[in-house]
Amino acid sequence: MENQNTKQTNNKVLIIGGGVGGIRAALDLAEAGRDVVLIDRSASIGGLMTQLDRTFPTNNCDLCTLSPHLSETGREHHIELLTMTELAELQGEAGSFTVTLTSHPRYIDLEKCTACGDCYEKFKDCVQFKPGLDHRAPTCMRYPRAIPQAFSIDISKCKDIDGLVSVCKSDAIIPDDTEKKRTVEVGAIVLATGAELFDPAVLDNYGGGAYPNVVTGLEYERIMSASGPTLGSLVRPSDGKQPQKVAWIQCVGSRGINKADVPYCSSVCCMYALKEAIVTKERFQDSIEATIFYMDMRTSGKDYERYRNRAEKEYNVKLIRSRPHTISEKPGTHDLSISYALEEGSRNVTETYDMVVLSTGFRPTEEMTVLSEKLGIELNQHRFAKTAGFSPVETSRPGIYACGVFESPKDIPETMAQASAAASKAAGNLDILNEMPASQEEMLPERDVTDQAPKIGVFICDCGFNIGGVIDVGEIAAYAEVLPNVVVAEVAGHGCSRESMLNIQSKIEECGLNRIVIGGCSPRTHEAKFQDMIRRAGLNRYLVEMANLRDQDTWVHKHNPDLATKKAKELIRMAVSSVALRHPLTDHLLPVNKDILVVGGGVSGMNSALSLANQGFKVYLVEQALNLGGLARKVNRTLSGDDVQGYIQELIAKTTAHERIEVLTGATVVDHKGMPGMFTTGIQIAPRMYYRQIKHGATIIATGALENRPQEYLLGQHNAVMTQLDLDSMLEKQPEKVKAWDHIVMIQCVGSRTPENPNCSRICCQTAIKNALRIKDANPGARIFVLNRDIRTVGFQEDYYREAREKGVIFVRYEFDAKPVVTGEGDQVLVSFRDPVLEKQLEITADCLVLSTGLVANDEATEDLAMIFHLNRTDDGFFLENHIKLRPVDLHVPGFMVAGTAHSPKDIRESIVQAQAAAGRVLTFLAKDTINLGAGVAKVDGKKCAACLICVRACPYGIPFINAEGYSEIDPAQCHGCGVCAAECPAKAIQLMQYEDDMISAELNGLLERIL
Amino acid sequence: MGNFEPVIVAFCCHYCAYTAADMAGSMRLSYPSNVKIVRVPCTGKVDTKHILQAFHKGADGVYVAGCLEGDCHFKNGNIKAARRVARVKKLLSEIGIEEERVEMITMSAGMGERFAQTATDITEKIRNLGPNPVKNIRDGQKQPA
Repeated sequence: MENQNTKQTNNKVLIIGGGVGGIRAALDLAEAGRDVVLIDRSASIGGLMTQLDRTFPTNNCDLCTLSPHLSETGREHHIELLTMTELAELQGEAGSFTVTLTSHPRYIDLEKCTACGDCYEKFKDCVQFKPGLDHRAPTCMRYPRAIPQAFSIDISKCKDIDGLVSVCKSDAIIPDDTEKKRTVEVGAIVLATGAELFDPAVLDNYGGGAYPNVVTGLEYERIMSASGPTLGSLVRPSDGKQPQKVAWIQCVGSRGINKADVPYCSSVCCMYALKEAIVTKERFQDSIEATIFYMDMRTSGKDYERYRNRAEKEYNVKLIRSRPHTISEKPGTHDLSISYALEEGSRNVTETYDMVVLSTGFRPTEEMTVLSEKLGIELNQHRFAKTAGFSPVETSRPGIYACGVFESPKDIPETMAQASAAASKAAGNLDILNEMPASQEEMLPERDVTDQAPKIGVFICDCGFNIGGVIDVGEIAAYAEVLPNVVVAEVAGHGCSRESMLNIQSKIEECGLNRIVIGGCSPRTHEAKFQDMIRRAGLNRYLVEMANLRDQDTWVHKHNPDLATKKAKELIRMAVSSVALRHPLTDHLLPVNKDILVVGGGVSGMNSALSLANQGFKVYLVEQALNLGGLARKVNRTLSGDDVQGYIQELIAKTTAHERIEVLTGATVVDHKGMPGMFTTGIQIAPRMYYRQIKHGATIIATGALENRPQEYLLGQHNAVMTQLDLDSMLEKQPEKVKAWDHIVMIQCVGSRTPENPNCSRICCQTAIKNALRIKDANPGARIFVLNRDIRTVGFQEDYYREAREKGVIFVRYEFDAKPVVTGEGDQVLVSFRDPVLEKQLEITADCLVLSTGLVANDEATEDLAMIFHLNRTDDGFFLENHIKLRPVDLHVPGFMVAGTAHSPKDIRESIVQAQAAAGRVLTFLAKDTINLGAGVAKVDGKKCAACLICVRACPYGIPFINAEGYSEIDPAQCHGCGVCAAECPAKAIQLMQYEDDMISAELNGLLERIL
Repeated sequence: MGNFEPVIVAFCCHYCAYTAADMAGSMRLSYPSNVKIVRVPCTGKVDTKHILQAFHKGADGVYVAGCLEGDCHFKNGNIKAARRVARVKKLLSEIGIEEERVEMITMSAGMGERFAQTATDITEKIRNLGPNPVKNIRDGQKQPA
């Protein structure tokens, strides 16, 4: 298809920018067996996210979420990481680019630097640190777990070069280091440069940069951050005192038309201000008052509206709709006075705050402009990457893809999805790999420990403050050291960091340890990591046990350190006594089925299917309706004016004609079994409902959503009342009728942001503006009123909101508890509402009332599918992804991805991004030729088995059978590992590996041994 | 007796209850530290003998926490577990231990709040029941060394 003629023998991708987007794209490509060169201008990768304190909605520590990814990036064989490196020149075309890269001198040998800090200790001035946005960072690495874990030197500032060189015990300092140039052949390029944040010092009305207690959102994050300049204490820069009243001002530098402003919305500031306010209230409760001044609260992402509601209702964050004009500083005290006008009656208020946070947004960097010229790609009017409406990650030059904020302002989940999409598209320019290169890692052979007495090593993580801030990890280690069979017990810092892992590995080899206990976070998230680690140290991967000291102890008992300490000791005791009985196990491997099942044949499903089929995979596309196209069949135009029907028809034609896509319409999924890499799904196909089974290795869920049609405002009862989708179709099919309307009223948030359906439906604001502009095009004299609760035109959609106002569309606010009232009046309807600015009740006789009803989950369908596939759903019936921030398209069941509106309401362009991302994630999943079923399967001891058939009856999957020798046999390849048979077996002839009876007994004994 | 702090064992399935417990952690919901979790792949793996062993060794309460009905990752392990818990209740009351000391609970992976609330409720209930009678017997039998 589109990329086939550009395929060359070149299998490398260049990724420019090592923030979260670049890291995600690099990891995806590497996991799919492609080589990556990842370059970043800074001395370490990680980008903006490393500067953040916590991320919503779980308010987790960012560093803790990100650092596992960073160490993956450092380790992955397929990734070559070049820091302090820029692109100098580009030649060639998609499939065979030649890029010239310039690496600036670091004056430090990365191979030798151990990041001990001696150089920084003695020569603070010349050991360079990239301060990012924080001039008060405590270390010269940008963040404590920097990758690469090494310093860098600013040689021009050094007066005593010999002294500097001699201070380094590792001989890592290279005083005559020089700029290096190299050329690399790559097949495709992914741009993930990010953007910078607006510097409010250029505005003279807010005192940014002038008043010490006015800080930007990011500076506030740094102040709150445990790795920040104040080590996490929230204090005013002017006097070091804790503030009592903090205010946030939204849209500083964004959504404006003044000299320093940009017209677009920066998309992320509403959520980060809410998060900062919530985290502040969480830490200080009523001792700090938090107020946010906003224009429109744009919480339109998945479950974001609930977060906003929590901020207001649970945390008492005050939300005031107003854009303050000026901040003035009170002489002497550095307190700040804000004057603002309330929307209600335009009343003026002046209030004093101790600290003000300016919510500044994204700005394109100079680097982006220079880079775009070197690459020969076009930028849009806002100087972000220009992409076509239905090709959201493709720049104007084939083979070059954009993701993250370089494409448009966006938050982390959207960046992650777009990065996966860009990676997937980039991979399309490379050869189809029939055989993925095997891992080149030299593994130590496994040490045979079967007959050895247990020699246990216990390692206790502090996980920064997460564990270490609540309990004394040294005390726990000392306690563990004297437990039976324990040889070594140590504290391990961030145990999952690269250096800690290396340290534990060398301890294992040094002391001949043969069982390991990690006291740290949850085995759910980190067990595999530690299993890999001990395997690298020559131990069988099943000889490690984790004690969940963080998620199930210090996080929940942080207010009672004594009890937390006692519980930590008990958890360690349980783990130590059970690990002693662990024994080596062998994983079961099976060949992967490389075919893919896509459920849902709308825009998302077809895009996923085409992406994968183009890369050589066989795809089954199952659609319940009789036609492909889904809900988009009812949409004619996008906000930017693109022709949706033309696009859909082309997509359907490509999909149905593709030799590797088998389209099954009228097909319903009825059953499902198997495991990741070898699923079997049963479908019934209309009209005769004949049953067929499909074997596949991975699954993409793209079942879409439904138009909401709530029984409100006379919808379905009066001819003048319709939804935005109905209007869209009238605009196309009955333009004359639309032209004849004089007065049109639109009501936003119909059926969403209500107690029954608390979330925002995301697409309705842009849809209303799109249709209002279309009406205005047809009939410039039409009077259009949009009754709204907030207008949420995020990113560049803001341009259309401005255009609509310029063209005379009138936007009037209404409150949820004072909804408009609609009554029929002949062919027309009378809409009565209160204008808060005029403080008057107004009435409009409208020829047409359009309800912005948004999308709701197809509850029945998602419930059935969730049941059949064992997937999780949100409260409102959308599929729940694996990790809202870092894995937005992966579902909880390995091998399952989600795309489009089955995930949450989103527009066509966003659905395409997610569809391509889901395809990309499937590529990584199917890259391996074998799947590892793990070792957790049931084993029968034939000597004890009495062939009583209880296991045969108990197994939910019907796997056990009585073999020729007369005892029960369980095929490890088919066993799901639930252990029901083991629990039911009266003779105790069955044991579930990893959860053997004696291990559970030992765990209980470990807990209870001192009670009686 | 006044400061009786019960020891409670919670057998939690990996897919729902254990995940809900982690979720309670990430939501920073606090619950009594009396509850100690033993992770199992499925509540269907929880053996009657292990529940009894916990009481035998002095646990004051035991609960088995699995997925919501119909949501079991392994089809119906939670239903089998509920049956076993009912059987244990009978056994306990036959030997004079209050059957309320053992319960079957279900929750989904996302229910961090329910996990914390359950832990709080059950701890309170067991606290009111007082120590496991097995302890008294043992205490009575204990001879000075």
